[in-house]
Amino acid sequence: MGKVLIVDDATFMRATIRLMLERNGFEVVGEAENGAVGVAMYKQCQPDIVTMDITMPEMSGTEALKAIMAYDTKAKVIMVSAMGQEVMVREAVMNGAKSFIVKPFKEEQVVQTLRKVLSV
Amino acid sequence: MSSHFSNEPMLEIFIHETSQLVEKLEQSILDSEKASCYTLPAINEIFRIMHTIKGSSSMMMFNNLAALAHAMEDLFFYLREEKPKDVDCNSLSDLVFEGVDFIKLEIIKIKNGEEADGNAALLINRIRHYLLSLKKEDGKLDLSPAEKGAEVEKQHYYISQDKPQVQVPQNHYHAVVYFEDGCEMENIRAYTIIHNLKDLTSEYVYYPEDIIENDESVQIIREKGFEIYLQTECSYQEMNDFFMKTVFLKDLKLEKMERTDEPAWAFRKAQKAGEEAYKERSKASVETALHREEKESLSTGHPSIISVNVQKLDKLMDLVGEMVIAEAMVTQNPDLVGLQLDNFQKAARQLRKITSELQDTVMSIRMVPLVTTFQKMNRIVRDMCKKLDKDVKLEIIGEETEVDKNIIEHISDPLMHLVRNALDHGIEAQEDRHTKGKPSKGTITLEAKNAGSDVVITVRDDGRGLNKAKILERARENGLLYRPEEEMTESEVFNLIFLPGFSTKEKITEFSGRGVGMDVVTKNIEAVGGTVTVDSKQDCGTTVVLKIPLTLAIIDGMNARVGKSCFTIPTTSVKQSFRPKATDILTDPDHNEMIMVRGQCLPIIRLHKLYNVQTEVRSLTEGIIIMVENNQKTCCIFADELLGQQQVVVKALPNYIKKLRHIRGLAGCTLLGDGSISLILDAAELADYR
Amino acid sequence: MADKLVQDIYDQEEDTQKGKYLTFSLGNELYGIEIKHVTEIVGLQPITEVPELPDYIKGIMNLRGKIIPLMDVRLRFKKPFRDYNDRTCVIVIDIDDLSIGLIVDSVSEVISIADSEIVPPPELNKVGNRYIKGIGKVGNEVKLLLDCDKLLLEDEANCLTSIIE
Repeated sequence: MGKVLIVDDATFMRATIRLMLERNGFEVVGEAENGAVGVAMYKQCQPDIVTMDITMPEMSGTEALKAIMAYDTKAKVIMVSAMGQEVMVREAVMNGAKSFIVKPFKEEQVVQTLRKVLSV
Repeated sequence: MSSHFSNEPMLEIFIHETSQLVEKLEQSILDSEKASCYTLPAINEIFRIMHTIKGSSSMMMFNNLAALAHAMEDLFFYLREEKPKDVDCNSLSDLVFEGVDFIKLEIIKIKNGEEADGNAALLINRIRHYLLSLKKEDGKLDLSPAEKGAEVEKQHYYISQDKPQVQVPQNHYHAVVYFEDGCEMENIRAYTIIHNLKDLTSEYVYYPEDIIENDESVQIIREKGFEIYLQTECSYQEMNDFFMKTVFLKDLKLEKMERTDEPAWAFRKAQKAGEEAYKERSKASVETALHREEKESLSTGHPSIISVNVQKLDKLMDLVGEMVIAEAMVTQNPDLVGLQLDNFQKAARQLRKITSELQDTVMSIRMVPLVTTFQKMNRIVRDMCKKLDKDVKLEIIGEETEVDKNIIEHISDPLMHLVRNALDHGIEAQEDRHTKGKPSKGTITLEAKNAGSDVVITVRDDGRGLNKAKILERARENGLLYRPEEEMTESEVFNLIFLPGFSTKEKITEFSGRGVGMDVVTKNIEAVGGTVTVDSKQDCGTTVVLKIPLTLAIIDGMNARVGKSCFTIPTTSVKQSFRPKATDILTDPDHNEMIMVRGQCLPIIRLHKLYNVQTEVRSLTEGIIIMVENNQKTCCIFADELLGQQQVVVKALPNYIKKLRHIRGLAGCTLLGDGSISLILDAAELADYR
Repeated sequence: MADKLVQDIYDQEEDTQKGKYLTFSLGNELYGIEIKHVTEIVGLQPITEVPELPDYIKGIMNLRGKIIPLMDVRLRFKKPFRDYNDRTCVIVIDIDDLSIGLIVDSVSEVISIADSEIVPPPELNKVGNRYIKGIGKVGNEVKLLLDCDKLLLEDEANCLTSIIE
């Protein structure tokens, strides 16, 4: 258990999350640079959990979340948000996001969030 | 920097990505400015870029960058959401450019391993003020976007009041949830619990109840915890399990209660109704999202481009270079001389073919288009036009032309210098242009095109042109006339401006003065084996042409021996080589040797003398003369003998030696087939050596 | 193989390199150089002379495709030049981004010298002395411990001007 798909338009954030997760025994099965690619890759890689940035070009994280939830109602998606995005995080939670982390986050916060959500 | 980012790769990615984003940002602003309006896609893009920079910077603990990006993000959020009219495009661009410059500067500091200690407070303040003034004009000062959002929801509030009736469950619970410190957005986390709770029961109230709208609720939850009263059929254990799933749960107090406090339930209905309405709304957007996703997944597959560390590419290039040498060592091995080896030759030919293909491929990987370098000039033209009150259009042609990555780095500064010069000194003031009957808008053209193994970059302006008399006068003053004035052609006169020491301090401006002149351009371009020439016509304009090799890494070289040493001369600068006749050789009273070649009298440079190399061949008629030309200067190099021509991989001299001193006439070194080292001569520098 | 040995040592943790010195000889004197600077030891290979450099830079050498400058430590210390023989060694050191080969009479061994066994050099205003960081005592012998930074970096300004003149 622990296949992760990282969706984020920032290379830096993807690399950071990947590093944090891989150091803690997660397997990153894919990275996507926007929501649309993220949804496509979700179908392809069938990850156990997804980290989803909210603000992205092409298709936003919230839209992608909705699409993923519509495809797989059991999908576990964690939103990666920033301060000030309360409204969007709330919308994401309403639409099935299991939890969220807030930038800047610490390694243990990501890891704890993913572990907890996966254990449910 | 926080401990888990002390590792270099993260920092490298951060720097790389942020620089790229800033470049994009700059282009976006320039485009918007040109169009005199910020389109929605542009605003969106700028907003996203700022958002990304904010996130990455805060992760890297570059708080000043994060704060600035945050302020800009807020500004563009407002622009995006409220679409205010009558935005002063100019002052907005100025403000954003200032932000761009700040970020750029900080990135440079970070790159150099310095502290990113710039203070953005002032700029942030100004951005806030700007935003405030926008709001004022719009009459929306007292309504922040968040509040507006809340308002929207309130409107939906009453839509679906008639929700289905639910059974009244038996068990009553009181729960207090405490979150871990620093997990952020506690109110939304509380909301997450409530959201999930709905699967278990529909009968609940919580405190603070205004978890979304009221920012202070975060503080209350942090201090006093998040309180929930609920009714459900679930057992205590089940409820306990439910709450324990909460992410970042620090502490949980859960108790079963005998009866509920009725008034507390009053809040519930209102709360829930609002959510039902929201759900309706988002259902519609799921469908559109699905629709869009289907379309887009067709076009966007996996990314087909990856970024590679330049050092790895350099290493690859080095290795290919080694391989070219190794191939020569095998196929031209002295042990093979005189042997009839048909199969071997066949295999060797195949090897040579693959090697050269590999070499071409690796070179092509290193090629980057000039587009970014050219685009940078847009900003310079813009800034200078504003400062100098000139109206100039920058025309860019052939920006897709590619050159080696290493070379790009060398031509950026000279180009900037040339563009600045053209704008500052070339293009006349508007009134002057008017009097001359020229269009008031000046034009600077930046053009690149391929020409064999060179790239030709032209910087052309339609300004006043170079003043021949003035150039001669200045050259005379500075003692730069190497030939009698009357013998010099027009082009020779113009090219005097590239000589070191030509620029005087007579006219220093903020942009192109600085006490350095065009010789900087020459120096930079010659450093990559290129040449600079200028042509001009009074009142029609000036054209500067840079001729630059496609790559620095591999050149065709001619090897010459002097004593036990070997020297390599780039074939491109070799005009001819011959054994001189005694009758053609002249010596002036200062013992300078010269030779007559086709009616021209050229200086002779004896390598053994210049570099103090022991050799038997001291008489000119026993050795060989190699005539080299670079940048319209010609000289004759004297060596013992020619060894032949081959492709060589250019290597820099070791850093230690470079630090020690610059050796005149040496461009680098290369490895020969037998593993020995040959020194590569810099023809331009040698020709200058008189 | 000597370079293999050094490489092995080099691969170990930084901690284990501390207090370790590679010793070499110039005439009768024994010198020590911190092992953390040393990347490998090779025999002398053909040298390509480079013009216009100070006499103690003998030229450049091809080390598996990498080109490194060679410094004759004898000449650097203003000792008389001695012809190279089969005991002559090149110690390749790396300091910051500078790689350089030091030509020495011969290489001896790797030894440990505790900080407590190192005394500062006497305050003599003699050439060569300023490249010495300290004097280490090992049994009855003393080793002169080289300051590599100074060996590489100092004097540059001097030789620059002297050549240009």
